[in-house]
Amino acid sequence: MTTLSIQDSYNAFHEVWDASQPSNGPLNDFTIGVKDNIATKHGTTTCGSKMLEGYKSPFNATVIERLQDAGAVLVGKTNCDEFAMGSSTEHCAWGPVLNPWDTTRVPGGSSGGSAVAVAANMCRAALGSDTGGSIRQPAALCGIVGFKPTYGTVSRYGLVAFASSLDQIGTFTQNVEDSAILMDVIAGYDELDSTSNPSELSSFTNQLHTPVTNLRVGVPSQYRSDEIQTSIREAIESAIETYASLGATIVDIELPLTDVGISTYYILAPAEASSNLARFDGIRYGHRTEEKCEDLIELYSKSRSEGFGSEVQRRIMLGTYVLSSGYYDAYYNNALKVRRMIVEEYKTAFKSCDVVLGPTTPTVAFKIGEREDPLSMYLNDVYTANTNIAGICGVSIPCGLSEEFGTPLPIGLHLQAPWHEDSKLLRIAQMFESNTDFHLQKPDAFQC
Amino acid sequence: MNIEAPKTTLTDATVRRIAFLARLAMSDSEVSKAKEDLSTIFSHIDSLLSLDTKHVEPLDHPTELLNHVRDDDPTGTLSQEQVLMNAPSVKDVYFDVPKVLKEQT
Repeated sequence: MTTLSIQDSYNAFHEVWDASQPSNGPLNDFTIGVKDNIATKHGTTTCGSKMLEGYKSPFNATVIERLQDAGAVLVGKTNCDEFAMGSSTEHCAWGPVLNPWDTTRVPGGSSGGSAVAVAANMCRAALGSDTGGSIRQPAALCGIVGFKPTYGTVSRYGLVAFASSLDQIGTFTQNVEDSAILMDVIAGYDELDSTSNPSELSSFTNQLHTPVTNLRVGVPSQYRSDEIQTSIREAIESAIETYASLGATIVDIELPLTDVGISTYYILAPAEASSNLARFDGIRYGHRTEEKCEDLIELYSKSRSEGFGSEVQRRIMLGTYVLSSGYYDAYYNNALKVRRMIVEEYKTAFKSCDVVLGPTTPTVAFKIGEREDPLSMYLNDVYTANTNIAGICGVSIPCGLSEEFGTPLPIGLHLQAPWHEDSKLLRIAQMFESNTDFHLQKPDAFQC
Repeated sequence: MNIEAPKTTLTDATVRRIAFLARLAMSDSEVSKAKEDLSTIFSHIDSLLSLDTKHVEPLDHPTELLNHVRDDDPTGTLSQEQVLMNAPSVKDVYFDVPKVLKEQT
C-alpha cells in the first residue's frame, strides 16, 4: 500500500484513499480523483448527500473497472453538489468546495471537487459527470480542461442517475492530451449500459497532434451577448483570432434557441430526476428517519425530507409538478418538442462549421453565497445545457485570465462538435492549446 | 395550436399536493419558501410556451441509438449479503420496516 500525501485545504475530497499498488498498464502515471456519484467498491459513494452517508457500493462503475485495469491510481472521492444538482459545489452535505484561485469564490459545479483536485495539483486527472455543464463549467472556473463526450460514448453503468437522457461521464485534466489518453481507456461500448454506443471508436490519441485541415469555426451571434462579462468577451474574440491565424475559416452562425435552453433543461432534468430519485425511500438503503411514523408514506416522506438537501428537494418538486396531470403537455411534452428543435438547430449549424465556439460561462467564478436565488444559479449553464439536450460533445479549455475583480480568475473557451466527433473535437482543442500557454497558468499558491 | 400556459399561480395547496406526490414532508414555512422559489423559476420557464411547437414531434432521447438488451441467459447477480448491506434496518434476511398494517377500527 502506498499512502498518498494530499493536502486538501479546499475541501475537494470527501475521502482520500490509501492507494493500492496498481496493476501494470498505460495509466500507471495517472493519479485520479473520482466524483462521489460514481460507484466504487472501495470507500463510500455518497453523492454529496446525507441520504447516502456511509453508503458502500457492492460493485464498481464500468469506468472504475477500466481505469484500474489500465493501472491508474485512484486517490479518492471528490465532493460535488448533492446528487450533481448545482453549479457551485456549495450544495454539498460535506461543506462547500473552495476555488484555489480565490478561496472566497466557488469552483463551479456540480463536479467542483474534481475540478479543484486537478487545478490544485492534488491528482493528475479526475472523473466527473456532466448533465447540463457540470464538467465544463467548473473546468472553466478553475482553469483546466473539462471534456463532456457525446452521450453514450462513456458507460453510465455505476453513475448514480440524475437525468438519464442527459448524464454523461467525462474527464478533468491539466491539458488536452491527458483527456485523450483517459478517453482511450474509458470510452467504448459497455453491455451493462443500455444506451451505450455500440460503434467502434477511433483512437483519441493517434491523430491528436495533427491539426484539422480546412477547419471551419462557427461563432453564434448569441454567444457574443452583452450579458457576458467584458474580460470573457475579449478572451473569446482573441481565441477566434488564434484559430483564424491557424488557418481556420471563421463562420458567423445563429443558434436562436440558446436562450430557451435553460427553460427546456429545467423541465427535462428535474422531471427525470424526480423519477430517478424516487428510489430513495429509506427502506433498502439510504437515510431512514428515526421519528415514529404512522404509515409507510409518512416513513418515506420524513426520510426523504431529512436525507435530501434543499436544492434536491426543489428539483424533485419541480419535476413532479411538470409531470403531473394537467401540466404534463404544457411543460414536459412541450420541452421534449423544443428538444427536437434544438437538435435540428445544431444539425443545421454543423452543415456550415466543424465546431461551435463560444464562452463556457457568462461570468468568471462568483463569490460563495452570492447566488442564493436558484434561478440566477441556473443561468450559469446558459451556454452548456443545450450540449446535453442535444447529446453532442463539448470541451472547455483555458483561454485567459480575467483581471476584472482584483484577483486573476480563469476563463473557459467552449467548443462543441456533432455526435461522435469527439476525437476530432479534442484535436481542434489541441490546436488551440499547442499555440497558447493558458493551460500552464496556475493559482499563485501553485506557481513553481 | 399552441398549448396555453396553465397560468402557473402556485398556491399553498398546490405545493402541498406536489410535495405529497413527491413523498416530501414540508412544514408551513417550507411550503411558503417552495412556493416562492418555484414561482420565480416558472416565471422564466414559461418563456418556452411562446414557441410554436405545433408541428414538432417530441424527442425523448438525444441520440438515434436503439435500446439494446442482453440475451436472456442467467448471469451473476448480487448476493443476499450485498443486497442487505446498506439497509437501515435488517431482521434475519429481510429488510426491517415499521409495522404498516393497522387494526381495523
